[in-house]
Amino acid sequence: MRNVLVVYLKELREVLRDRRTLIFMFLVPTIIVPMLINLLIGFSIHMEQKARTETLKYAVFGSEYLPQLGRAFENEQGLEKISIPAPGDINSAIASEKIKFAVVIPQSVQEQLKDSNQVTILLYYNNATIVSMANSRAAKVIHELGNQWRTERLNKLGLDSPQARDNLLNPITIEEHGTANMREILGERLGGMLPYLFIIFSFMGAMYAAIDVGAGEKERGTLETLLLAPVPRFQIVFGKFLVLFTTGVTAALLCLTSIGVILTTKGKEVAGAMQEVIQSINLIDFALVGAMLIPTAAIFASLLLCISIYARSYREAGAYCGLLNMFVIIPAVIAMLPGIELNWITAMVPVMNISLAIKELLKGTMDYLILAGILGSTFIVAGVLLAFATWWFGREAVLFRE
Amino acid sequence: MIEVKAISKSFKRRGKKRKSRFEAEPSTSGSIVHALTDVTFTAENGMILGLLGQNGAGKTTLLRILSTSLKPTTGTASFDGIDVLQNPLEVRRKIGFLSDNTGLYGRLTGREMIEYFGMLHGIERHSLKKRVDELIGLLSMKDFIDKRNDTLSSGMKQKVSIARTLVHDPQIVMFDEPTTGLDVVASEAILLFIESCKQKGKTVLFCTHHMHEVERLCDTVVMLRQGRICFTGTPRQMLEKTGQTRLDKAFLALVGSGGQANA
Repeated sequence: MRNVLVVYLKELREVLRDRRTLIFMFLVPTIIVPMLINLLIGFSIHMEQKARTETLKYAVFGSEYLPQLGRAFENEQGLEKISIPAPGDINSAIASEKIKFAVVIPQSVQEQLKDSNQVTILLYYNNATIVSMANSRAAKVIHELGNQWRTERLNKLGLDSPQARDNLLNPITIEEHGTANMREILGERLGGMLPYLFIIFSFMGAMYAAIDVGAGEKERGTLETLLLAPVPRFQIVFGKFLVLFTTGVTAALLCLTSIGVILTTKGKEVAGAMQEVIQSINLIDFALVGAMLIPTAAIFASLLLCISIYARSYREAGAYCGLLNMFVIIPAVIAMLPGIELNWITAMVPVMNISLAIKELLKGTMDYLILAGILGSTFIVAGVLLAFATWWFGREAVLFRE
Repeated sequence: MIEVKAISKSFKRRGKKRKSRFEAEPSTSGSIVHALTDVTFTAENGMILGLLGQNGAGKTTLLRILSTSLKPTTGTASFDGIDVLQNPLEVRRKIGFLSDNTGLYGRLTGREMIEYFGMLHGIERHSLKKRVDELIGLLSMKDFIDKRNDTLSSGMKQKVSIARTLVHDPQIVMFDEPTTGLDVVASEAILLFIESCKQKGKTVLFCTHHMHEVERLCDTVVMLRQGRICFTGTPRQMLEKTGQTRLDKAFLALVGSGGQANA
């Protein structure tokens, strides 16, 4: 074990003097990620508030056929009427953001109203903008007029009590009882994104260090020197593995801690159900998420070490790591898809099982027997990969590739 | 003492390697490359043995086998009776290896690098500190020993490499083109150092392309061509055998190229 420790401490010292590794290991998870999450939350809140309260410019054509609606729009707060030449200019006016929406009232409206028929009003808006509330705010004005007419028409039919009108309009009602609590609902949404971040960090945190401890030794010409030391190959590989494991785990746990701190501090600012959800995720849940990341980092450390030992240069190792990155991202992303649930089959798929387990932990619906299975299988995979890395490190064709 | 007995090394060619026109074509049969064939020689203690040959002749493969990095296909070698195949860890304790392309860890200082290899050789902390200080004095490294290796000049780096090679005070030292790329002053320091190894009774295996170094240092010479020994003897015998008056001409006569590179 003394030799393992010697290799480990030397590699760790080198890694801690490498700017690229330090950036991914410390700076990104502790500064950049929290900053980006803060910015993202702040930006989305700002955009939603803006969409709800900003003054929307609009155009209306045919208000002479339905003056009530024209007046309703004029009286609605937060709307500003703009003149554009003709209905044919609506699309270009919306595209150039001159107006947010346009309402076209057809000439036939008066005749349809006389016969108490259904009236069709045309509403134009940019439906590509996700946060835009132009359509809902315009529709609200139109529906208010529609509701008023409905009441008048039902009154004429003698249905003057609200209950009688409701019975006619809604002969069947559904009373929904969702069994999921708010934590489960939000965990389903949040729980897809967060594991992805943790998994990527346990990979990226170890990547640059891995390139250095394997391919870097070859490129610098230090590998042959190291092989001359009277130390069994396994001890060298294990020392190097431990360094990659340390960097990967550190990056992932720092990311987890940063997000935990953000949720704790921001959680107080958020009101209502969201605050309840955040407060219901306790320290044990976070500790279990952290525990899931430990074998994950071990898998990545072994895989990255194999690749790095095989590569002849930094450049070659970088290319292989890029490829491996895709194989890491895909199972993590698959776990985010709707309908993909944690069961004994998905629990045996490396990376995806970790992503799904973290999601379940955040939702508060974890089956702890499956969790133990995932931890066990992930440690076994990591062990097999480490054994492979050791065998790989003993092969002449790998060490002296030309 | 180094004893090399009938060492052969073959490996499968992977892909087609583009060779330099100045590099010797190794012996092949189909996709099998015979890097070394039936190499046998002995080097007594306190002797400097020159290992010569064109690029691609098999010198580096032989040094890698002797240093236990590669395993021979057949044959074996031993250092003071310790077999490289049966007891590689013990062999590594006895040898030091220095090459022109053995790099340094750029983000470590010279001292950290020497200490690292000292610890891997199992030297205790107190003895190691004494040994490192001794090497620093011996190789005049005081001014730069605590600077990061990536800031050092080629000569300084080579001194750190020498110190790393000798930290465990090996009985057998192998030098693979140690003066390549160095200026005259740095080269002279290395050559003086190799001479001092001999004076201390160490066995030196010295691989070089510079015939004036062979003339100055080597007691005996083993020359390889296409993985086989084509000459064994003293530098003087090399001249006598080829009828030349200069070692470089004798070398060319022995490799059979007469100054022409292989096509």
